[in-house]
Amino acid sequence: MKRILLAALLLLASCSKSGTPDLQISGAWARETVPGQTATAAYMTIHNRGTGDDRLISVEVAAPAKAMLHASESSDGVSRMREMGGGLDLPAGAAAQLKPGGTHVMITGLGAPLRARDVMKLRLRFEKSGPSDVDVAVGAGGR
Amino acid sequence: MQPVRIILWALVALALAAFAILMLRPVNEMPTRQQPLAISSIGGPFTLTGSDGKPFSSTELAGKPYAIFFGFTNCPDVCPLTLGRMVKLRKELQSGDRPFEILFVTVDPERDGPADVGKYAELFNSPVTGLTGSPAQIDQVKKQFGIFSQKVPDSSRGYSVDHTATVLLFDRKGDFSGTISPEEGNKAALAKLKRITA
Repeated sequence: MKRILLAALLLLASCSKSGTPDLQISGAWARETVPGQTATAAYMTIHNRGTGDDRLISVEVAAPAKAMLHASESSDGVSRMREMGGGLDLPAGAAAQLKPGGTHVMITGLGAPLRARDVMKLRLRFEKSGPSDVDVAVGAGGR
Repeated sequence: MQPVRIILWALVALALAAFAILMLRPVNEMPTRQQPLAISSIGGPFTLTGSDGKPFSSTELAGKPYAIFFGFTNCPDVCPLTLGRMVKLRKELQSGDRPFEILFVTVDPERDGPADVGKYAELFNSPVTGLTGSPAQIDQVKKQFGIFSQKVPDSSRGYSVDHTATVLLFDRKGDFSGTISPEEGNKAALAKLKRITA
């Protein structure tokens, strides 16, 4: 019995919060593009107000474009951009900021330019909360 | 005798491999840092290709202070962020319409032709000069300005390019004056820009 209790305790300690996540997505915007430019980035804040952790596992956008989670980082003055294969952790009670120069949704293969004031639809897929559609406002390039 | 010989040759091969790894290692590590350059030697005359497809010579910058940034047009995050910031800072300087030039040089000449860099530069609704060139020209200019770049595989676009994200500043005489890094605050950046536009 003791051993089972210990195992359960260890499991609890190592486990993430298993309540219900409650995600709020705000401030979603993407940078406008010029004709011929097929790549852009989308940003937003994902606040998990629930009691359980969640994870953003993938992002979808209407074909022919593709969306994926990317992270920009810089060290020694060199900027690097990498795919986030493992998704983005959304711990309970915390807000994840997708912002310029950091984590962002990379959009490639745009069939037509995105103009300021356009709205782009993204579908975010979360590990626990499932899919969620987001309207992304297209904003000026210099933002 | 034969097995001994094989073992000896294997040892020679092993030593050669170890030697090769040791020789190659510093080369692999180097790109993570900017190539050290004597400050006075940063920059200098260059010829690239403008967005109109015609040669762009650095003589066109004579008497004009300028900020030069290296990136690529498939870069959707750091490059527009940096160029947008430079445009914003230029507006904040409030000294004339165009107190300094902003140059954007691609480190991906294989994909970025003159029209590509030109259209990319239009994103900012403010004059930005987009430049490309032959891979050899770009390599030469990168070397002159101490810029590092390296292609890395990326499933969405074939490859992405890691690159120096620091903006280099030059005064009216064409002399290197300083840098603006992404991490630096706008106040410090503005002070540096005032220096080159003075």
